[in-house]
This record gives sequence, C-alpha cells and structure tokens, in this order.
Amino acid sequence: MPREAEPSANEKAFLLKALQDEQIRLDGREFDAYRPLELTFGDEYGVANVSLGKTKILAKASAEVTVPFADRPLDGIFTIATELSPMTAPHFEVNRPTETEVLLSRLLEKTVRRSGALDTESLCLVAGQKCWSVRVDVHVLSHDGNLTDAACFAVVAALRHFRKPDTSMENGVLTVYTPAEREPVPLGWLHSPFCVTWSFFGDEGETALLDADWMEEQVRVASVTISLNRHGEICQIAKLGGVPVEAVALLQCTSVALTKVKEFSTYLDSKLAEDAKRRDKGGFMAELRAENDRVVG
Amino acid sequence: MSTESPLVVLPGESIDPSLIPTHHKNPLRLGPGLRHIPPSEIVPTVAGQLVVDNRKTSMWIEYNGGRYIPSQNDLIIGQIVRSATDFYYVSLSPYTPNATLPHLAFESATKKTRPQLSPGELVYARVSLANKHMDPELECVSPSTGKADGLGPLKDGMVFDVSLGFARRLLMAKSREEGKVEVLEALGEDGLGFEIAVGRNGKVWVNSESTKTVVLVGRALRETDEKNLGVEAQRKLVKKLVREMR
Amino acid sequence: MTIAAPEASLNALPRADGSARYSYAGYTVTASVNGPIEAQRRDEHAYEAHVDVIVRPAAGVGGTRERHLESILQSSLAQIILVKNFPRSVIQIVLQIESTPENAYVNTKLVQASLNLPIIPALFQTAVLALLSATVPMKATATSTVVAVVLEDGSKKIVADPSPKDIGEATSLHALAFTSHDELLLSESEGDFTVKEWDDVYERAQEICCQSAPKQAGVDMMLDDDASGPDMRSFLRSALETKVASDLYWK
Repeated sequence: MPREAEPSANEKAFLLKALQDEQIRLDGREFDAYRPLELTFGDEYGVANVSLGKTKILAKASAEVTVPFADRPLDGIFTIATELSPMTAPHFEVNRPTETEVLLSRLLEKTVRRSGALDTESLCLVAGQKCWSVRVDVHVLSHDGNLTDAACFAVVAALRHFRKPDTSMENGVLTVYTPAEREPVPLGWLHSPFCVTWSFFGDEGETALLDADWMEEQVRVASVTISLNRHGEICQIAKLGGVPVEAVALLQCTSVALTKVKEFSTYLDSKLAEDAKRRDKGGFMAELRAENDRVVG
Repeated sequence: MSTESPLVVLPGESIDPSLIPTHHKNPLRLGPGLRHIPPSEIVPTVAGQLVVDNRKTSMWIEYNGGRYIPSQNDLIIGQIVRSATDFYYVSLSPYTPNATLPHLAFESATKKTRPQLSPGELVYARVSLANKHMDPELECVSPSTGKADGLGPLKDGMVFDVSLGFARRLLMAKSREEGKVEVLEALGEDGLGFEIAVGRNGKVWVNSESTKTVVLVGRALRETDEKNLGVEAQRKLVKKLVREMR
Repeated sequence: MTIAAPEASLNALPRADGSARYSYAGYTVTASVNGPIEAQRRDEHAYEAHVDVIVRPAAGVGGTRERHLESILQSSLAQIILVKNFPRSVIQIVLQIESTPENAYVNTKLVQASLNLPIIPALFQTAVLALLSATVPMKATATSTVVAVVLEDGSKKIVADPSPKDIGEATSLHALAFTSHDELLLSESEGDFTVKEWDDVYERAQEICCQSAPKQAGVDMMLDDDASGPDMRSFLRSALETKVASDLYWK
C-alpha cells in the first residue's frame, strides 16, 4: 500500500507560525469561516453532489422493500454506507477500512441515524413482514479535509431530496407503484442535523478553526465535532483524543456551530425549493396529487 | 516558435510530415509528449499543442497536468523521507517511489561536514539520473564546478503546490515574455521582499522575513494557476491581496 | 429516439492527477486517474505498469458484476496505455458510477440488474478521458459504443445506444470499442445472434466510433445527424481541444 502523503516539516511549522503569530490562515479565511459550500442535485431523486472548497462528496439515497429485523418488526431499515475508495486518495484500499473511514461512518451514524432524523417507523409496510430499507451511499470524490461536515451535509441533502415509490395496502395485498403510475413520495423526515467540526492548534489547543482543510488537519492537535440541528438541539459531541480543551471554549464553539447550522439549514431549504420548482411541471399532474406537503424541519 | 494557429494533437494521431523540421546537419530533437517509432514515424503520446522550433530542429507537445515524471537536469523540491547509510531517500511527489540523494552530493561535503537532514525537511536539488528502470537520483551540487548554485537544504519558509505547467512557466528564462507570468514582478513592485525556489515537480518554496508576505505570495501564485489568470488579472489580483493584507 | 449529445468535463477533481466526468444516454460516470505511482509488491511488474481499474456502483457494494467490468476494462485500457514506459508502477483508474438510466415503468432494485454491457461504453469513455486529462502517455485514443439487435415487427433491427426498454426487448447486445487507428479493441456480446447480425453490428459500431470528420486543422464541423448516433471521435476531440485551450491559455 502506498504511504499516505504527509506535509513537510517546513509546511507544518509555517502553518502553525502563521496561525499563532499572525492569526492568518494560508488561504486567507477567517478562523470561523467555511470554504464555499455548494450543493447540486442530480436528475434522479436522492442524488446530492456537495463541494466544500476542494472536498467533493456524492451521496446517493436508494430504497428497496425487504424483511424487517426480527427484533424490530415495526421499524424499517436505514443504513449509511461510507466506503473510501482510492479515488479519495491512493492509499485507501477497497475492503480495507482505515481509521478515517471508520470514524467518518460512526459520526454519520450517530448524527443522522441515532438522532432519529429519519422516521424509521414510517418505513414499515407490513409489521414483521415487509418494510423499506433505505440506504445512503457516501462517495468521497476528492479529499481536501473536513470530510465529516461535507459528508453529513450531503447525506441529509440526499435523504431530504429522495423520493421512494408510493405504496398501498388493499385487502392484505401490498402494491408498490412505479414512478409512471404514481408520483414517488418523500421520506418521513423529523429534523435535519448537521456536523460542525472545530480543529485546535497550539500546545494547549488555544487556537480554534472551523472547516480545516487537508493541510490543517495534518497539523491539528485535537478536533471536536458537534452535531446539532437549527433548533439548537445537540445530537452528539465527539472529541476523539487529542489535547484537552477548556469547557468554556467548547461552549463558545457550540454557539458558533449553531449559527453555522442555521446557515446550512437555510441553504439546503433554498436549494430544495429551487429543485422542486425546476421539477414541478405544474398543471394537471400537480393537481391530481392527493397528498399534502409535509412540514419538515 | 511556429506562428501558425495552435495545432492540437491527440495520442496516436499522425503528424503532417511537412511540419517536421529538417536540417541538413542537425539531428531532429524530440521533446516531451512525442515518441519515435522506427523507422520514421513520429507520434504524439499525450493530448496537447504541437510546437515546432525550426531553428533548433526540435519539436515537442505543450500540455499541462498529470503527475511529475522525473527527467534529467530538472530542478525539483524534494522532501526527505529517511536517511540510509550513505544517502537520503527523498520524495518528489506523494505515492511515487523515492529518489536517492547521496550524503556527499552537497557543496564541499565530506563524511564529517555533510548536512544532517531529518525526515520532513526540504531540499532543492537537480535530477542527476532519471531512467525508467531505476529510481531517480538527485544532487545538490554541480558535478563540474563543485558549487551548490543555489541548491541545497531549504530552511523555514513554505511550500505551495502548483500545476506542472505553471511550474514550467515560472522556470522559463523569460517567464514574463514567454510564460506570461507577471505575478512575481508585480509582487516585487509592491515592495514585498521574499525568496523563492521553483521545483519542476509542481512545488514552489517561498520564504520571507514576514509571515504575511509568504502567505500573500502563496495565495497569488495558487490563484494565478488555478484560475488561469492573464497578465492583467495577475496584476489586479496582487493589488487586491496586498490591500487585504495591510 | 432522442438522446442528448454526450457531455464531458475534465479535471473536475482537483486533487487527482487527472479526472473526468462524462454523461451520455442517462449514464453519468466520474473517473479519477492517479499514476504512475508506486506499485504494491503483488502488482509490481518488472517491465510494465500495472493498470488498476476499480468500478464503484452508485448504490450498494461492488460485487462480481463490478469485478467483471473491471477485468474487461483493464485488459482493453492496458492495450492503449504505453505501459512499458513505467515499469514497476501502477496507473490507478477509479470509476464511480453516479447515475444510470431510469425506467419509469419498472421499480429499480437496490443492486442493479445483472446487465453489464450497456454501461461499458460510459465507463470506457470516462476512463479514456480521465487518462488523457492525467496526461498518461498513450498509443492511441479510443471510442466505444453499445449496439442492440431488437426484434421489431418480425424483422431484426439494429439500435445504437439502446434505451432500457430496448435492452429489455433485445435479442442480443454488443459493446464495442475501437482505437483511433480503427482497430477493434473491445468486443463483448450477450444473447443469441448470427454471424450476419454480428457483421451488421460491427459495421454500425464502427460507423459511430470511427467516422472521423475530414481532418482540417483545428476545425471539425461535422454535423451529419442522420440518426446514426453521435460521432464519438469528434466528441472526444472537441472535449480535449477545450482542455488544451484552457491549459495553454497563456500561449
């Protein structure tokens, strides 16, 4: 396996010097500024292309009918798959998970799945027999740091954009309609959590940055990922090792994170509305729709 | 350099024989991107623009992008990976086999006075041997004069990654006229003092008394490269960055 | 049948040596190329570069279907790359499938159906574009297409770039690729067909892949859309001309 790339000693030293002595980042960003975040949806439902500076992520949601787990007969199945391929960087190998990959998938799991963002009960079709299995595949196309925040945004965007085939139950017969027969329906969505990652620098972690790029990630001494929604409800805080961080600093980080999450949330809503407008052919088919718009948050 | 409209070629396309320069005495010299299939066929191997220099009876393909492939006499910026008994292993780009740099290939180096470099440090070196069947070899000293000529360890400063084509333009003898790179001059005219070393492997090392200057030079170089800025836009960019930093 | 013209963007991924995103006939594929890079011991070859192809599905985990596609692509791409230039190294091509054509009349399964052939041209073309973007030295470029033999009103008809519906009804399917020297590079067939049908398929595919615009320096205004499918070679050329023009904007 090729060795992972590593910045030179000069680069590491310089980056720290610039941060601590001059308070500047190499790309001129403010300490609490994200790189430009861009989201585009594909032609299919449930495909989200997210780019955060040079980090690029593709998330694709899909659904199929399957048998629920025996111990959870009333719940559907929801999985998030994050496999890093050599496209991310040549040292990642297929079927050989690295630490980056494991941490990314656990964070997404905690943020999106365990926080109950997707209503898994609504995925149940026939108790104990049939349910939807919803799956999101996260593909990292280009890795320039902060995979977590970008991947989380992509997963949430893909799921909120996704439509699963409509179904009906009549006399104990389950029918799954094709897109031509009935317009597919959105998932039961409860709230939209986002990740905000802070990176810490210096001997005591006194300098904190948002949205570290690849080089900054190589030099940081600790990081904290805070997952929350726009109502300020915190789903999880992960601080995996590194130097200790003051509790007061953490509180500050959380409050900045909330403003960022509100921005993400507004951006995603506007992109979803824009896409809906683009797809809305209007007229007859729209009027034939029987269902009400769900309010999602 | 030819004056006709740019001729884009793709791998395997045939080249109009009338374009191939001939000279009664000088042999034809083929540059990057071309291969000779005996007896007399010349075929491009990459997509790019065919450039013919009739005066020097040479031709090559001008292109940008891809990974650095070492070639003899290139100046490169390498990163020390580790030291063996009598040479250093040096990385020229990530995921490629290491080049070797003998401990004694520095100016007036002896077993006792050679520079001690630890992993992660940088050197500015020349490729002394590049051969597809062997790992590349480097030197930080001119073999004919024994002088360093500016090569050697690079202390402090910062390295910025640029595209291979941009590094080539920066290294041109007349980078301003032929390469249309004005950004360094513009930075200098704004009163910024800095040292710079350009590696053919797409790396630019910048050092200065002031940390801000290094950051500024790095951003100017990267933006010029990534956004394909012309001469005017480069000047504008430098003005804008200098204003921001002050 | 109307299909939008193929689209490609090169160097879409900033951190790879080369990359391309290609969409045509409902397929969208992104490819990255890194190389030549250091080979692992098991892939190391003393005289040539190992071409490593990885195909990743949009949803679900890769399985035998992907391994099969990888082996087909690997053997044909290794033919056009100058592998002898880079002994003991690897040229790594990762193909990420982004979307496949949808059939509004059928609900797609999570792991797509077993059909392999129709996606080969999209994968192949993306790989070639990404290799060109990474400036990996090559012997020639190549173009690819898929052709179906469909039974229609009792007579057999040859359909280029078949839709999912055509594929469902086809008696046989053929994926072909040709080098820029008009040599057949890849041929994979599925279903029942006669020698005569194969000849027709071959002719049709060659027309699509090889009908080159008469070479006038720089200009290719070949717009004969007489329902013969796209002119893949001109498409490839114009995509590359755009790339070269942007790379050498300073010239």
